[in-house]
Amino acid sequence: MKQKIQELYTLEQLSSGASAIHRLHPSVKLLTTVVFIIVVVSFSRYDIGRLVPYILFPTVIMSLSETPYTLLLKRFLVALPFCIFAGVTNIFFDTEPAFVINTIVISNGVLSLVTIVFKSYLCVMTILILMSVTPLAELTNAMRRLRIPYIFTVMFEMTYRYIGVLFDEAHTIYTAYSLRSSERKGIKIADMGTVVGQLLLRSIDRADRIYNAMKCRGYALRTMAYSRSRIERSDYIFGIAVTVVCIGFRVVNVNALLVGAFGEYA
Amino acid sequence: MLKLSEVTLSYPDKTKAIDRASFALGQAENIALIGENGAGKTSLLLAIVGILEPESGTIEIDGTLLNKTTVNELRRRTGFVFQNPDDQLFMPLIYDDVAFGCRNAGLDEVETKRRVEETLASLQISQLKNRSSLKLSGGEKRMAAIATVLVTNPCLLLFDEPTAFLDPKAKRALIAALKQMKQPKIIATHDMAFAAEVCDRVIVLKDGRVTADDDFSLLENQEFLQSQGL
Repeated sequence: MKQKIQELYTLEQLSSGASAIHRLHPSVKLLTTVVFIIVVVSFSRYDIGRLVPYILFPTVIMSLSETPYTLLLKRFLVALPFCIFAGVTNIFFDTEPAFVINTIVISNGVLSLVTIVFKSYLCVMTILILMSVTPLAELTNAMRRLRIPYIFTVMFEMTYRYIGVLFDEAHTIYTAYSLRSSERKGIKIADMGTVVGQLLLRSIDRADRIYNAMKCRGYALRTMAYSRSRIERSDYIFGIAVTVVCIGFRVVNVNALLVGAFGEYA
Repeated sequence: MLKLSEVTLSYPDKTKAIDRASFALGQAENIALIGENGAGKTSLLLAIVGILEPESGTIEIDGTLLNKTTVNELRRRTGFVFQNPDDQLFMPLIYDDVAFGCRNAGLDEVETKRRVEETLASLQISQLKNRSSLKLSGGEKRMAAIATVLVTNPCLLLFDEPTAFLDPKAKRALIAALKQMKQPKIIATHDMAFAAEVCDRVIVLKDGRVTADDDFSLLENQEFLQSQGL
C-alpha cells in the first residue's frame, strides 16, 4: 500500500525535472493544455480521422520532457473503462453504417465510441503530461494568476494533497482489521459501514492536522506562493506555436490535403 | 519574546482546554511544558501559533499582539514541530517539504534551494533531500520535520512531543540538534530526562492551568509530581 501511495506522487516527482518543457512558464503550459483540449473536444463524434494529427502534441511533449510513456499510459488505463462506458451505448442506438472494411460494416455507433476513446486518450494524456512537467504549487499559482475561482484551485490542490492521506489511513485501518480477523481475507460486508465511516473520520482528522501544519508554514488559501512571474520569449513562442498548430489542424483538413497530394503524385 | 496573559481556551464541548494561563519566555530561554495526557499542552502550543483562538487573554510574540491581522506574520516568525512528523511531511520529496515554507514566504527558487541545502546540512540529513517521507525511519522523519521549520529561520520554536517515535540514538541526535539552535523554545514533553537536557525552566500544566513555573529542581519533588498526575 505504501508503494501505491508513493506511485500516486510519481508524477509530481517527475515535475522537478529540468527539460525545456519543464522550464516553460506554468501559465503558458496550462493555457496551451486548455486550448488543446477545447480544440480536440470541438470535433464531431465521427471525426476520428481528423483527430489523428493531434497525437503529435502529447508525443512531442513527452519526448522533449523525457516523460515515461508507460507510466502515463497506465494512468490512462484507469480512466479507460469510464470512457468506454460513456460511448458504449452508441453501438446499440446509432446503427447506421459509416463505412465497410472488406466485408465488415462499421456503424456510426462504433465510430463514435472509438472517437470518444481517442479524444479521452488525447485529453487525459495531455493533462497527465501537464502534471508531470509542472510542480503542483506552480500549477495552482498559474490557476490563481489566471483568475480561476479560488474555490476550484483550493479543491484541486487539497484533493491532490489529501488523496495520499486517505490511502494511508485506509492502509492503517485495513492492517489493524486484518490482524484481528484471523484467516479471513478482506473486510466483512457487515463491518464495511463502520470501517468506511472510521476511514472518513480519521482522514478528516488527519487532513485537519496537515492543514494546520501547512498554515504554520505560511500557507494561505488565497495567496500565491513564489513562482516565476515573467513570461519569457520562449514561452510566447511555445504558446503561439501550439495554439496556431492546434487551430490550424482544426480549420484545415490535413487528411484531405494529404490524400489530395498523394492522389496527384499517384 | 513570548508573553501569555490570562489565556483561556475551550473545546467545542465547552470544557476548558486552557484556563487563564500566563507566563513569559525570554530571548534565550528554553521551557519544558509538562503535564499529564489531556492537560492542554498541545492546545496551548496551537494557541500560540493562532491555530486555536483563545476566548480571552492575550498572546504577544516579539512585542506583536496575536490577532487576525497579525497571525500570518507571526506564524512566519514561529516554527512549530508537530507531534507526528507524518502530519508535517506531505510533499512527494523531503526537498519540497523543506522548501514549502520558503516558497510560501515568497522566496525565489535560488534562495529557497540555498536555504534548504544549508538547513539539511546543518541537521546532517542532506542525504534525505531527494527521498520520500514514506521511506524514512522515525528519527529521520523527525529531523526532516525540524528542517521544515528551521529553514525559514523562525525566532521562536515550539515542539510537541519531539521524542515520540524516537529510539535512543535518534533521541541523542535530536538533543544535539536542539542544543545548537539559538532560538528560544517551548517543548511539550513527557520525557523528563530529555527535558532536563535541553531546557532550563519547567512549566507544569494540569487541567489547563499553570500549576508550577520553576527550574528543574521542581522535578525532584516526587510528591508534587504525583499530585500533578506525572
